Amino acid sequence: MIQAIAFYMFAVLLIAAGTLTIMSRNPVHSVLWLIVSFFNAAGLMVLVGAEFIAMLLVIVYVGAVAVLFLFVVMMLNIDFAELRAGFMKNFPLGIAIALVLLAELILGIGAYGAGVLELGTPDGSAAPLLGRSNIENIGALLYSDYLFLFEAAGLILLVAMVGAIVLTHRERATAHRGHQDIGKQNRRRPEDATVNTRPEVGKGVQL
Amino acid sequence: MVDLSQYLPILIFLAIALAMSAAFVFLPMGVSRLTGTHNPTANKLTEYECGFPAFEDSRSQFDVRFYLVAILFIIFDLEAAFLFPWAVSLDLTGWAGWVTMMIFLFELIIGFAYAWKTGALEWE
Repeated sequence: MIQAIAFYMFAVLLIAAGTLTIMSRNPVHSVLWLIVSFFNAAGLMVLVGAEFIAMLLVIVYVGAVAVLFLFVVMMLNIDFAELRAGFMKNFPLGIAIALVLLAELILGIGAYGAGVLELGTPDGSAAPLLGRSNIENIGALLYSDYLFLFEAAGLILLVAMVGAIVLTHRERATAHRGHQDIGKQNRRRPEDATVNTRPEVGKGVQL
Repeated sequence: MVDLSQYLPILIFLAIALAMSAAFVFLPMGVSRLTGTHNPTANKLTEYECGFPAFEDSRSQFDVRFYLVAILFIIFDLEAAFLFPWAVSLDLTGWAGWVTMMIFLFELIIGFAYAWKTGALEWE
């Protein structure tokens, strides 16, 4: 009962937020609606029992990807009037892509309904461990059978990091002005830093 | 299958938060309309900026350096996401799983050291 109510609440909010993402005139509002729809999708994922995916949606999509979208929107100086002018021109293309996606959905659901596709057959090494949560199941599989793919994912992340730095980082002329060298500070002794002088009357101090 | 009843407190909290925020937004609006104080004028509806008209858009362009910080954040965020299933399934994967994660972390430490060395983490 509560599950059904929660499902309909999340589903309705997800569709509403998704529609507003497309319809809102300001791209910043679009990103904020996208964040709302991510949260609702996370709720739906919890309802179907995919807790790990729900956690990923909140942590990675809401926490990082949406923020990145926001940065991109704020970084590009978008002329809203110009952005809206191309809507009618691109409308047929958008409809065509939407139709292709719809056809794929219908084909996929039809094939699954006819029994052609077999999703997640629980045999062999991929069978879920009973009495364990699905995060533990993912972990047990990912860090044993798919160990090399996991390391490859690590290498891809490394390449992504290096690539992002190479593409966007520019060395600035003033970059090395304020560097603190702690070793140099610690090596400095009082006798290097202070001098005792006894200047004669009427003469200044020469340093 | 997941025991969904453990998520019930979160759902109740969500409902209370939704009700409270809706009340805080719509209650003053309704009250002001019912008591007759709702009387908007053009001057009341302008954005208030210390008494003079706003001369600039509130949206300003961000520096491209924010983008690099955001990308690095995504990468380390994904790394953290990989740590969660690893941590709860360590009794099943054993030493092989532990060593795998250490190699993975080492790969990212190389990236971190590179980011640090090139000054990508420095602001000025």
